[in-house]
Amino acid sequence: MSTANPVAQADAPPMLEMRGITKRFPGVIANENVTFDVHPGEVHTLLGENGAGKSTLMKILYGLYQPDEGEVFLNGEQVKLQSPSDAIEHRIGMIHQHFMLVPTLTVAENVALGLSSTRGPITDLKHVSQKIKSLSDRYGLQVDPDSYIWQLAVGERQRVEIIKALYRDVQLLVLDEPTAVLTPQEVDDFFVILREMTSDGRGLIFISHKMNEVMELSDRISVLRLGKLVGTTTPQQTTRQDLAQMMVGREVQSIRAERPASSDQIALNIQGLRVGGDRGVDALVDFNLDVRQGEILGVAGVSGNGQRELAEAITGLRPVKNGSIDLAGKAIAGLNPKQVRDAGISFVPEERMRDGAIGEFSVADNIVLHNHSSEQFSRAGFLNFGAIRAHCAKLVEDFKVKTPTIDTPAKNLSGGNIQKFIIARELDSDPDVLIAAQPTRGVDIGAAEYIHSRLLSARNAGTAIMVISEDLDEVMLLADRIAVVCQGRMMGVVDRADASREKLGLMMAGVESTD
Amino acid sequence: MSDILTTTVIVATIASGIRLATPFLLASLGEAIGQRSGVLNLGVDGVMLLGAFCSYYVVLETENIWLGVLTGIATGLIMGLFYAIITVPLRAEQGVSGIGIYLFGLGMSDLLFQKLVGTPLPIDQFEEWPVPVLSEIPIVGEMLFQHTPMVYIAFLLVPVVAFIINRTTFGLSVRAVGESPESADSLGVSVGKVRFATIMAGNSLAGLAGAALAIELGIFQQNLTNAMGFIAIALVYFGAWRAPGVMAGSLLFGMIGAIVLQAKTLGLIPRAWSDIAAMAPAIITILALIIVANRFRQPAALTKPYVRGD
Amino acid sequence: MKKMSLKKLAIAAATAASLSVTAPSYADGMKVAIIAPSASNDLAFTQSIVDAVNTLKDEYKLEVAITDGTFIVDDAAAAIRSYAKEGYDVVIAHGSQYGGSLKEIAPDFPDTAFTWGTSADTFGLPNVSAYEAKSNQGGYVMGAMAGAMTKSNVIGVVGPIEVGDAKLYVDGFVDGAKANNADAQVNVNYIGSFGDVALSAEAGKAHIANGADVMSGTAQMVVGAVGAARSADVAWFGTQANQTKLGKKIVVASQVYKWEVVLRTIFDNAKAGKLGGDQHEITLENGGLVIEFNDKYPLDPAARAAGDAAIAGIIDGSIKLSH
Repeated sequence: MSTANPVAQADAPPMLEMRGITKRFPGVIANENVTFDVHPGEVHTLLGENGAGKSTLMKILYGLYQPDEGEVFLNGEQVKLQSPSDAIEHRIGMIHQHFMLVPTLTVAENVALGLSSTRGPITDLKHVSQKIKSLSDRYGLQVDPDSYIWQLAVGERQRVEIIKALYRDVQLLVLDEPTAVLTPQEVDDFFVILREMTSDGRGLIFISHKMNEVMELSDRISVLRLGKLVGTTTPQQTTRQDLAQMMVGREVQSIRAERPASSDQIALNIQGLRVGGDRGVDALVDFNLDVRQGEILGVAGVSGNGQRELAEAITGLRPVKNGSIDLAGKAIAGLNPKQVRDAGISFVPEERMRDGAIGEFSVADNIVLHNHSSEQFSRAGFLNFGAIRAHCAKLVEDFKVKTPTIDTPAKNLSGGNIQKFIIARELDSDPDVLIAAQPTRGVDIGAAEYIHSRLLSARNAGTAIMVISEDLDEVMLLADRIAVVCQGRMMGVVDRADASREKLGLMMAGVESTD
Repeated sequence: MSDILTTTVIVATIASGIRLATPFLLASLGEAIGQRSGVLNLGVDGVMLLGAFCSYYVVLETENIWLGVLTGIATGLIMGLFYAIITVPLRAEQGVSGIGIYLFGLGMSDLLFQKLVGTPLPIDQFEEWPVPVLSEIPIVGEMLFQHTPMVYIAFLLVPVVAFIINRTTFGLSVRAVGESPESADSLGVSVGKVRFATIMAGNSLAGLAGAALAIELGIFQQNLTNAMGFIAIALVYFGAWRAPGVMAGSLLFGMIGAIVLQAKTLGLIPRAWSDIAAMAPAIITILALIIVANRFRQPAALTKPYVRGD
Repeated sequence: MKKMSLKKLAIAAATAASLSVTAPSYADGMKVAIIAPSASNDLAFTQSIVDAVNTLKDEYKLEVAITDGTFIVDDAAAAIRSYAKEGYDVVIAHGSQYGGSLKEIAPDFPDTAFTWGTSADTFGLPNVSAYEAKSNQGGYVMGAMAGAMTKSNVIGVVGPIEVGDAKLYVDGFVDGAKANNADAQVNVNYIGSFGDVALSAEAGKAHIANGADVMSGTAQMVVGAVGAARSADVAWFGTQANQTKLGKKIVVASQVYKWEVVLRTIFDNAKAGKLGGDQHEITLENGGLVIEFNDKYPLDPAARAAGDAAIAGIIDGSIKLSH
């Protein structure tokens, strides 16, 4: 199905032209002679692995970086974009992959930030709220203008980002991986919104890894690899397979479906779980779930329906109000994170840069973060650097982590590579149960593919794995059984074989499974 | 006991607490503005000292109190300019830079005092400005509305600062810059300009606090502030970075000081306990700080220089 | 000494100095260092010693170095040690808080004369002398006048911490006031700080609010209380230095310390090779304590008479003080 917009006309003069853009950083050329344009009313997708130079190109467009070479034209006129305010002045908007929202401010305040007010120096939040409401009505973006950002789920935060752009009436909007956090139905709704925006003559630059979305939404697709433009095509002229190949530079394999049957042995059993949420309301209510040895249990649901709290409750990061969590018959509810870890549960957290890794620390230090005091790595309180380095070098190699050295600060690595070493670290302890929250969010195809294969091999080796993901494709690809949560309740568990997107989508929306 | 705790004594004590609170309030309001934008300034005491000396000197020479007040503000602005340049475009570590400003203010105020004045000479002091009508109210009028102008200015600045922070577009930018400078930057808010402005505003208030102190006391001497500026920083944490909270902290500190003083004057505190009692404001404020501090989180970007695209 | 030998000695001293020999040689004057807690011109404690040394400067051909404002004891200790190292002949540690540091430092420099005050403790060290002011004497005189002057019968006193010179002065003041006016109530407020001028001002205001019409106080933060007295037009008695400049209309009299009286002895001793081990004090009798009146203040003759009587009584011993 293609919803390609009839307004998009390749013949119309481009609203944006970036010509011969080159940007060098010490030791790396992030963009090399890249040419890119957008016509009014079109969705032009920018595709590429992490590190391919998409973000750099967009940061140049947004005035965050200055190109070393090349020119930028808007509506035929050359412009110098030296700061985001220049970009904003030219009606360019950007929705960053890491949301640019101030958590301690309300939705309306975030929207009003940086704008002049109708009341001069005094803010006019009532006016802003009204305008937000009319925008939400028109585009179907449900958001309470008076909520604080910290109270909102990821999906809601994204709606705020869109509202920010609409509020500013941007003509050219960059969307950096906007669907990573949405349900299929939400993606459909989201695309309707985007189409609504292009029908007004706005141009969109869409950055995504999801082939089906790229093929569905795009008018044109440009692929970047290693800082260079590989080519520009249209969905009609290409296939998903071809695109993946352009991106990665080699043939991409999809995961084989064959897998040994999982055991009946229950590894993790959750009964009657009740857990408090951040906003006073319980995040999980009367929640039952089990994970068996040698299976991947997928937990699907719209962002903010209790998934994060579920992972935190299991791993000891959030107090349990009621109910039990048993690991192979042993009660672990109420234990602290270290005790849970020692009991045999590993955890790949949702916010990898906040909870999973320390950006300033080296890759090696991050790898031994949890077990640096174990006998393997220390003696009498002193770290055994030789053992640590050898071990880390091996994991980095095994898990194909792309890093200059193991002493490189983690923050210098791409999201995919950070995630790879986190998963390497978590699987290394040979856990009985692995909780993986959003394991491939924001991770490029190559890395996602690799992470999936490692999760599957761990499964096949008998580990019980819970994959909590808002990416339904991922859940359907990986899981043996799929549990769906909605508003903190378990809507039911379906076998992979019986699951369809439609059925899961209904459950995610709160319709209980009839099974 | 009942004879001693007369209305007169109570009124005098509360008025005294308000006076004691005033320089802390001015300085901590300024510090709170800076911290809301993510800038910690440990140099407050130094700015107060130099502000105090310069305003003292101007009043000594010109006998014009208000020119002295303006001089205090101007001194704060000049020191703020230095601090802003060091910490915003040059991105120096804020803790060390602040201590540098403090030491500069401490040393320079003393040096100038030695060179230009020498022997402490008294200067004109503020006179009380009873507020018409309000000061006639029995008891309350005397407590609240028979003060020197600096007291009114300091307390009127509380709603003003709160309004600017909470209700203006500039205040919104300040809060955003202190919490998530990258978000503010992405919306075209200049993190550097906002921080420059808050540093200048904060330092001008610190300079004003120094002027208020010197002119209230009518004298200057070495280290006149006696580390008031550092207590003002603690009061910002106490007040959870909000103007009313900062006011509550300053008043608590001033009131306890005044109560202890009054109790000593009346002989209610045995001599042997005198020195311990003198620590009461600090101890009680620290205890209150511990209780309050756990409920509020400091601005997420506090002390962090902003580097675009990092 | 004859001129010839003087010249020889001077040459010898110059040679010795260039060879960094620390052996004392006073023929061509002395090197004297002062370490003091507040500013040299604080019109109080520190200024009293600085003025005294300056008075003797020509007479003793002194080369004077001053480190003031060392309210942090560690800074003072560092300064004391470095002056001793640099070969200063007499090091004056002017602050009762410096005793501990001196006790540690003095044994390392047996050829240096250390003196300190206000205290009577020499730690049994041969090169440490101690000096103090019998400030209770002047305090008593001031108190006597205050007692005679007060109409409200409420007198306010502002002190720092109840130790040393401040305690001595305040105790004398209270005794003097009571002796001359049994009905007078003397409110004493030790504010707990030597440096908090704002608090001292508020202590002064608290006294005034409680009806005090005469006040006194001691230590360097007292300028705040003087300011309070000045705004309320309340009479003030000063001590440690002549405080008339702080309030020409309100300062009645000040007890002034003439440390030169004891410094003379200490310098002479040092010249004679006696570096310490003794205690010195300034009193009304030896002229080390002087009551200086403010000519501009219209002092009641009866109060003046009470003051003069107290001075005479203390000198001739008819008035016995408790310390």
